[in-house]
Amino acid sequence: MTTCIRLNQVTFAYRPELPVLKDISLAVETGVFLAVIGPNGAGKSTLIRLLAGLLRPQSGTISIDGKDIRSYSRRELATKVALVQQEFVPAFGFSVSETVLMARTPHFSQLGFEGREDRRIVADALAMTDTAALAARPLADLSGGERQRVFIARALAQDTPILLLDEPTSFLDLKHQVAIYDLLKSIQREKARTIIAITHDINLAAQYCDQALLLQPCSAAPEESRTRRSLKPADHYRVGRTSEVLKRETLEEAFGIRMFSVPVGIENVFLPLGKMAKDTGRAPLSNTM
Amino acid sequence: MNSLLSPRMLLTRTIAAVVLLVAVMVLCSLVGTQTVSLRAALAGPGSPTAPNPDYEILLHVRIPRILLAAIVGAALAGAGAVFQAVLRNPLADPYILGVSSGAGLGAMLAVVSGVNWTLWGRSPIAVFAFLGALGTVWLVWTIGRITGKFHVTGLLLAGVVVNACFSAIIMFLTSVARSQDVYATVFWLMGNMAEEDPFVLWASGGCVAAGLVGLFFISAPLNVISFGQTDAQSMGIHVERVQFITLAISSFITAVAVSLSGLIGFAGLIVPHAVRLVFGPDHRQLLPLSSVMGAVFLVVADTIARRVVAPAQLPVGVITAMIGGPFFLILLMRYNRRVYWLS
Repeated sequence: MTTCIRLNQVTFAYRPELPVLKDISLAVETGVFLAVIGPNGAGKSTLIRLLAGLLRPQSGTISIDGKDIRSYSRRELATKVALVQQEFVPAFGFSVSETVLMARTPHFSQLGFEGREDRRIVADALAMTDTAALAARPLADLSGGERQRVFIARALAQDTPILLLDEPTSFLDLKHQVAIYDLLKSIQREKARTIIAITHDINLAAQYCDQALLLQPCSAAPEESRTRRSLKPADHYRVGRTSEVLKRETLEEAFGIRMFSVPVGIENVFLPLGKMAKDTGRAPLSNTM
Repeated sequence: MNSLLSPRMLLTRTIAAVVLLVAVMVLCSLVGTQTVSLRAALAGPGSPTAPNPDYEILLHVRIPRILLAAIVGAALAGAGAVFQAVLRNPLADPYILGVSSGAGLGAMLAVVSGVNWTLWGRSPIAVFAFLGALGTVWLVWTIGRITGKFHVTGLLLAGVVVNACFSAIIMFLTSVARSQDVYATVFWLMGNMAEEDPFVLWASGGCVAAGLVGLFFISAPLNVISFGQTDAQSMGIHVERVQFITLAISSFITAVAVSLSGLIGFAGLIVPHAVRLVFGPDHRQLLPLSSVMGAVFLVVADTIARRVVAPAQLPVGVITAMIGGPFFLILLMRYNRRVYWLS
């Protein structure tokens, strides 16, 4: 398998004294579905924005398809990486098909109109995401789940080998959460895309993703690790197959809570337990707490 | 997929709008305090000793003023449409980044300082207003950039604050200046049409037309930018470049319009809105249709302003708000959903 994204010692800080990501090195292979998980403030969205070229790391390098991300023009990068943010209602009443077609804007003619090829790609994206029936409706009229599918369709229409998603299911009910993950999995399989998705749903990630990246805030690392010049990588991030990363002890430590972990089918299911939860007394004692 | 805008659809609708504009201009040229017959006017200028009055009125009074109204209306409505897109704010109008107060301050300074010269037939008020408008937009743009790189909120806030500050200076100058001078500025600020000579019409019409054509070529990226900067960037749009070019061009044509006619309110806000309600938000269509309909709107409004309290004249700014407001509210109630006309 070929590596399509490689991070080498990537450090990023919004304020110099407070790095969000520190010395992260990892490689994502082509065609992998990677879940990015971790507590709020761990730098998950920052990582996605770095990969989308919206931010530049202070040090370290990011390469996409073997080429440094800094050597891509904005337009070239948009042919490699598509970004799906949390769904929202735009300021003006664009329809579903207009929205999806916008992904083709860099390919428009001088007069600003799409070609036949652009229309075909948009039709494919609408069909794949099951939104063709909604094509003429304004985005504001759709449900959150439908709108999220439209934004995924738009990313598909961008026709990139890599798809980045920032919490694609955060406001959706169970049915629509599963529908989005089914869609992403089918995109991964049928279109051979590499997918990186931020999620807070560990169980869905375990069910659908091949690999997981668990991020922890730099500031949460133990004192002795922080005082050294460099952070011990394991205190900041872990990456690997979902079954290796998504373990009860690791997750309890990362999120600072206790959990039930039960094997169901071929994966483990995790249930967080707060202090006041009904089952708290029955939770297995964990040596990390 | 059939609802997508095609070049043919755009062309049909634009031509239909232009035909409407020409018809309205012809009709309005026949309306006024003096009854003018088109047939009599077509007879020609007449002899030097016995000039044809119909021809004189039409060619030297009515038509220049109607052309002026059309130029100003097209500039304001077109600029309004792109301002709303770039600022992602349906409440934006061409004046929001300081054009209005900058022009007002410029005009006020021209009056107070008592300068007395003309530049290509333009009064100092117009020249100062033009410079004031552009200078203020530049100031707001610079402040906006310092507060946050291309953050729309910073830009809007800077615009509001600079507007408020300059308005206060205008009020201060109004209080201390001699009342006769002030009246000229206040009247000018309300927005007013006057007959202009052909050179001014050609020059400003050319500037506005060139600006609108330039804006059309970036109307496809504007669609994406109205979804937000991150979205647009990740789709390969050079957001900063497009933002800068659109704001520069639209501020320029707004300043041209303001220096011609003062501050005509409402046209730049409601015309793009009305067009969007009827034809949808696609800027490739919104921009040309808004410009043409803005011209129609202002030609009609100015004709009413000429006629309604004849032989006196109302400032056209009063009419745009008085008829534009209710008209827009009716549209708003009628089209809570988009429908397609002429498709």
